Amino acid sequence: MLGAACQGDAVPKGRTPVSLWFSYGGTNREVLESLVLRFNRSQTRDFVQAVYQGDYFEGLAKLRTAIAAGCAPVLSHVVGEVVPYLAEAGVLEPLADYPGLRDLDLIPELGQERAWVQGSTRPLCALPFNRSTPIAYLNGERFAQAGLEPPRTWDELRTVAGRLSEPTAGRFGFGCPINWWFWVALVGQAGGSIIAENGRISLGDQAGVDALRLWQELVRAGLMKPPPGRDYNAWEQCNQDFLSGRAAMIWSSTAFLKYLESHARFKVVAAPLPAGVKRAVPTGGTFWVVLRSAPSAEKAAAARFLRFMHEPAQVIEWSTRTGYIPVTRSAVRELEQRGYYAAHPNDRVALAQLSVAEAWPWSVDLFRIQREIVQPCLESAVIEQRDASAILAEARARALEPT
Amino acid sequence: MKPSRRSDPYWMLLPTLLLLFVFFIFPLGMLVKHSLFSWDLLTPARFVGLANYRSLVRSGELWQTFGTTLSMSSAVVLGSMSAGLALALLLDRPGRWAGFVRSAVFSAYVVSWVSVGLLFLWLLDADSGILAEIWRVFSPSRSPRWLADPALAPWAVAAVTVWKITGYALVIFLSGLQDVPQSILEAAELDGASSIRRFRSVTWPLLRPTTLFVATTSLIASFQLFDVVRVMTQGGPVRSTTVFVYAIYEQLFLDLRVGRASAEAVAFFGILLLLTGAQFLLFRSEESA
Repeated sequence: MLGAACQGDAVPKGRTPVSLWFSYGGTNREVLESLVLRFNRSQTRDFVQAVYQGDYFEGLAKLRTAIAAGCAPVLSHVVGEVVPYLAEAGVLEPLADYPGLRDLDLIPELGQERAWVQGSTRPLCALPFNRSTPIAYLNGERFAQAGLEPPRTWDELRTVAGRLSEPTAGRFGFGCPINWWFWVALVGQAGGSIIAENGRISLGDQAGVDALRLWQELVRAGLMKPPPGRDYNAWEQCNQDFLSGRAAMIWSSTAFLKYLESHARFKVVAAPLPAGVKRAVPTGGTFWVVLRSAPSAEKAAAARFLRFMHEPAQVIEWSTRTGYIPVTRSAVRELEQRGYYAAHPNDRVALAQLSVAEAWPWSVDLFRIQREIVQPCLESAVIEQRDASAILAEARARALEPT
Repeated sequence: MKPSRRSDPYWMLLPTLLLLFVFFIFPLGMLVKHSLFSWDLLTPARFVGLANYRSLVRSGELWQTFGTTLSMSSAVVLGSMSAGLALALLLDRPGRWAGFVRSAVFSAYVVSWVSVGLLFLWLLDADSGILAEIWRVFSPSRSPRWLADPALAPWAVAAVTVWKITGYALVIFLSGLQDVPQSILEAAELDGASSIRRFRSVTWPLLRPTTLFVATTSLIASFQLFDVVRVMTQGGPVRSTTVFVYAIYEQLFLDLRVGRASAEAVAFFGILLLLTGAQFLLFRSEESA
């Protein structure tokens, strides 16, 4: 019914339409559609029409095609890695001059300001929506039975995974999708970065190798289960491994917090990721973007919707029903005052982890590096156990090839 | 019949030619043009000549994709033909039971590819799928990871495709078998030919045109593999199930590379053209023999 209210309804006479393309299924979709409905009912000036467009990558493909065809929506949300590419292509509307959007009290690590290196020096073109970090999910019962604490270092990760693994019974201590995002987390923890300060695509150099070798070592020892499938299929499979007890501890996005808590038959404990030579996590999720090609009146209406979505009530609703991090300081303050974090300590983990969040490089190549260069070599290294150093050297060489 | 005016046949062909031009020749021309550019749809296209083709060849991607497509296609063609023929021979008889099995086998053919992909995704799950459960009954070791092992995944996907299209091969072979004259089979039986000899010397040679037809249609189906790959493996693990159509989809819709995707599509078109030519020559030599 909510879906019908958002998508199927004609725009009431006299209201400015705002077409919104989104990429969520399940609970996230329900929550977003309920917020859109709330916006549409809260005023009589604008009317948001939300349309589902598949997962992030399918949605991005459609968005890009629609931009080229001249029929793009007014508003959408895209993964952080693709924002520099879209911004440099000149298809995103600068948002700073729309009333109220410059002054949102965003948590800096989640907004453009610190999500990218020198993000505050660039025109504001992306506002945070569903923002996340990777976190560890632990099977509370199995950890309690074994008398184990969440691992705080890579060494402890190895030990804990070893204590909880029973390879012959098909039970693993650790599970993690072989995915770029988690590898970036490991690279940061090993003290590296994907793109060096001078702009060289380093893929972490030795830190990148160390990150891959940790996975290889855990898989070879039978302590880690790399889930089958690629992209979000692997994430979903990893969640199922955790829920079914096949993996005692997984790394996944904070986005799955509510899903895992509500579907597990055991106590779910969230924990920060362990440290290598230091603690580090990337941020993830998506940012709102307004398409430059839209009519001015519709862009202004989209800006009003974005302001509404950043009010504490909506930020809190979205965050507490999904598990994503609240993106404004006022929302966090209100949740603290209500005692929400005291009652739901798992929700605090990702928020607290922002203190070690590392900014993404502002690079138009970031998306290409992710999809074409790194992701295929991660699979090859972990599944085929190829030499990590050689495979990353090949990847670096490919990254330098002209596009 | 002679046309009253010389131009009449051309006018009559015009609608078909127009459709062919709009939906085939023009897009093909655009495809070839795009393959010479580096373009992401958003920023201006940049002419790169044959760089997209060179890159596909140098990176090994073209040959790897070709090898994967060819090996999976071979498995699908051989598997569906053998299974279709074997089932047709078994079920070429009257009776309710044979009718039921015929319908059951053919029913897989009308189920959508996505449904089949999802169904087998569950059946082949190495942890909780039915196949894994059966494996555990007979072996203490863990079930092979059918879809997560690069050595097994292409064959698992090919087997699912065989399961899906065997019903079609069965129906065509059944109709072929019914065209085999009973009188020749009875004469061979009277001459003392065993059932194997009757099949080898009578049935199989007379089924040749049917076999060629089934081979061609299975080959086409196997070269168009996409849905089942998209649902079950997304081209992985480690690109082991990245067939041509999926590779083109990945380049275009996931990696945002119009030029590379176009070059891959042109290469695919060229390979299909060569295969069709080879098949045409084979038919010609069969006919002249």
